Amino acid sequence: MRTPPRSFAALVAVRAIGLFGAVGAVGAVGLSGCATSPFQRAGNADDVAAAVARSRPPAAPARSLVFLVLAGTGGPRLAAYDLAASKILWTQPTDVTTRVEAGGNVIVHGSKGTGPAGTVVGRDLETGNILWQRPMQPKERLFGYVVDGDAVFLVVQSSVAAGRPTGALFSLDARTGVERWHHELPSGRVAGPAARGGLVAVPLDSQYVLLFDGQSGLELGQVLSTEEAANFVRALPEGLFYGSRGLFLLGRSTAHGTRRSPGYLSARLPDFVRPVYWYDLYRPEQSEYSAIDRNRILWRVTVDGDRPQFRDGLAFVHDYRFFFAFDAGSGALRWAYGAPNSDAVASADTGHAIMFVTADGEIGGLDPITGARLYEAHLPGETVRGATFDAEGFAPVGAAAASKPPDMLTALTAIIADPDQRFPVLKLFAIEELGRQPGREVTAKLIDILQKEGLAPLAYQKAGEMLVARRDAGSLDLLTAALRAHADYAEKRPAPQVEVLARAVGALGPLGRALAPDLAAELRLPETSPAAAAEIARALVALGAQESLPALRDFLSLYRADSSYERDPTALVAAAEALLKLGGPNDRALLLYLAEEPHTATGLRTHLVRALGETAPRGAAPVPPTAAAKN
Amino acid sequence: MKRQRLCVLWVALVLTLSGGSLRAAVPPIGGAPVEAPKAKTKAKAKAGSPPAAMPAARLESLRLALAGADDGAAIDAAAALGASGAAGARDPLVEILAAGATSVRAQAALDALGKLSEAHVLAKDQTTFDLLDLYAGHRAPEVRRRAIKVLGSIADARAVPTLMERLGDAAPDVRAAAAEALAARRDTKAAKRMFALLKLGDAGVAGPLAAIATPDLVPQIAELAGTIDDGIVATALGEYAKRTDVPDRLRVDVLRTIGRLSGAAATTALVEYVASVPAKDDRPSKHEAQKLLDQRGADQ
Repeated sequence: MRTPPRSFAALVAVRAIGLFGAVGAVGAVGLSGCATSPFQRAGNADDVAAAVARSRPPAAPARSLVFLVLAGTGGPRLAAYDLAASKILWTQPTDVTTRVEAGGNVIVHGSKGTGPAGTVVGRDLETGNILWQRPMQPKERLFGYVVDGDAVFLVVQSSVAAGRPTGALFSLDARTGVERWHHELPSGRVAGPAARGGLVAVPLDSQYVLLFDGQSGLELGQVLSTEEAANFVRALPEGLFYGSRGLFLLGRSTAHGTRRSPGYLSARLPDFVRPVYWYDLYRPEQSEYSAIDRNRILWRVTVDGDRPQFRDGLAFVHDYRFFFAFDAGSGALRWAYGAPNSDAVASADTGHAIMFVTADGEIGGLDPITGARLYEAHLPGETVRGATFDAEGFAPVGAAAASKPPDMLTALTAIIADPDQRFPVLKLFAIEELGRQPGREVTAKLIDILQKEGLAPLAYQKAGEMLVARRDAGSLDLLTAALRAHADYAEKRPAPQVEVLARAVGALGPLGRALAPDLAAELRLPETSPAAAAEIARALVALGAQESLPALRDFLSLYRADSSYERDPTALVAAAEALLKLGGPNDRALLLYLAEEPHTATGLRTHLVRALGETAPRGAAPVPPTAAAKN
Repeated sequence: MKRQRLCVLWVALVLTLSGGSLRAAVPPIGGAPVEAPKAKTKAKAKAGSPPAAMPAARLESLRLALAGADDGAAIDAAAALGASGAAGARDPLVEILAAGATSVRAQAALDALGKLSEAHVLAKDQTTFDLLDLYAGHRAPEVRRRAIKVLGSIADARAVPTLMERLGDAAPDVRAAAAEALAARRDTKAAKRMFALLKLGDAGVAGPLAAIATPDLVPQIAELAGTIDDGIVATALGEYAKRTDVPDRLRVDVLRTIGRLSGAAATTALVEYVASVPAKDDRPSKHEAQKLLDQRGADQ
């Protein structure tokens, strides 16, 4: 075992010797002797740029594999599945704990092992046979590992009695598991690593990312993120990234990472999306196959200089059974896809396809641009607990590639109608997106949602808002039909959402006048709630529906003394206002009577006294009802 | 009190002038009650003798009490008007309903109109009909039920659509009142909706459905045994068996079906059937019912 220089300052000294000779080296060493913080060079752009320049981009792999963590009747197993050949290559009995990481010819995963802290297992990629095992010591806690070339890198936190935990980065020979070197990290607050072409990145203390030479273990640079936590590091062919709520392309411009850095990128996404660009590597539990694999953002970028852009301008969201593509700049939904039967437990953007595996053994692939189904395979009878794709650049070909893109309305409607109650916020999003789509069929679907039973109250509210906002004068017949579908116990038909429908009709203004008789008829039905009656009255005013005056008068007469309106006379007030606005002198006279009659609901009387006074014709005081009767 | 009277008349005038379902609900100010002449004639004909007139002072006193501040006095006044059987009793009741009243007063007024209808002194004029139709859609089920009951008692085809609609009411009592009214009219068109309700286990329609069911519906009712409460099926079949227009052979089949049903309601249906047959009537169905009762007794 070889232990590399411990501190960054020492590395600087080594460089300095090369560049300036002994004098310079002495000076540098002297500087390091003065240092009190291990992060004194954090954010140094030159260091980071030089480190990134050492990183050699990995060659494109010529394979398309997915490693499946299987459960069910066959017991716990790990299988390698060849996507191109659509067949399982090998299966090994094992109880996988932490996520599979694939390298050149080795895969690594966590296993329960025999010790309490678990075991890191190295397997031959071709056969799945165990190559080596590294049991974790009782005082060790594994934060993560990665395979890069012929090396495996582990970040481990060690606890010592009565002391702060310490962290260390280990390098193992990928084929043998033999330790090559280890580097004690300057903090015990560590996170899992990422590696790309010989450069290893380790997040530290939430705001730093330390960069190491994979061969020697020398520390090469320190990234300082000041506006966002550096919770993850991720290696992709297009670069090394770090970030949390957004992502930073590692490089000169992001050595000191702020959101203003040219290398910073985040997608504009709707509220239902959890902004998980990658696993939080400070949380070892996220290195296990879990819900985090089912609810996150999938992204790839293209890089122009030091500026990353989302590939094709798209960011993808995996939300359990559903996949969405959004315009990363505007947040506009491009397509939506729903896995029909069960959750997708894993997903990956290979650069050419959005690949996923469902819990019931379906392996699928979607076109990133259109959402069309590109790949489909099944593992009958299997239960998949998790999966890791090793299929960079995989582009499905063949008959499946001819499938049609998913219809947006169908996909959104399926989400809304889905009986799964886990996604209330997603359903609200789907309703909102549905409402944004053009066409009569959308109005019809929104009305259907209002009639559907079993949705969350907010879903009805959102559907109503979208229906009202549409102002779809081309769908009067649909609104009429909805209004006429009265409640009927014998036919097991619930009452229509009259309150919302009235608002939708009212929003049309005079264009909706033809619906006034149907709205007015609702005032005479027992199932029309006071809230709905109030909306009807307002809508009739908006329509200018003077033909509805008799219904308004009847409503006021019927309920003006009803004790149920004593507490909340809103509906009566709305009907009275409608009479005032639409009616003539006789209606004013009726309202005058109601204002004076002691049995009239107090709130209505109070309102009428004020409203009649405010609207009295100039120079003509309201005639008291008693006087009118005497004439 | 004087002012109350004026107010009620005043609003009636407004309504009359303005139009609406309640227009012409009450007589013009200072005028005599308006009755539809034809309806009045028919009411008299049904009653066999002209309805008694109520002294004007008494009528006025009740009218004022009905619109006054005291709920108890108003309810008493409504009851007195309903019990009077007087031709003029209808007007104050219609007035108070047209002007709008508290729920308890509206119920009392509707009950009183029901009494007048039973006494065949309630005319089937448009005003009364419109008023009852409006109250049949009131939000309070107890108000609706009473309105339906009175509406159902008016021999006028205009009431049928509302009664049919209220068969689908959310309140069981309202559905039952509508079903009873339709059954009383022998409106067989209602049988389909009533059967739909029976399939949902609505006990309130069992009797009314039996009153209008055609023979082809009886097996369908019998087939509901086991899917809804057997007692409801037994009630429906028992009421059907009691109908005088049912062939006795069919009655025997129906009674045997009842005999196969479990529960006290089935026994009650058989007992009631036996009791409904005159003692001197020695029809086979009576023997069959008795035999079934004896068997049930032995099984116990």
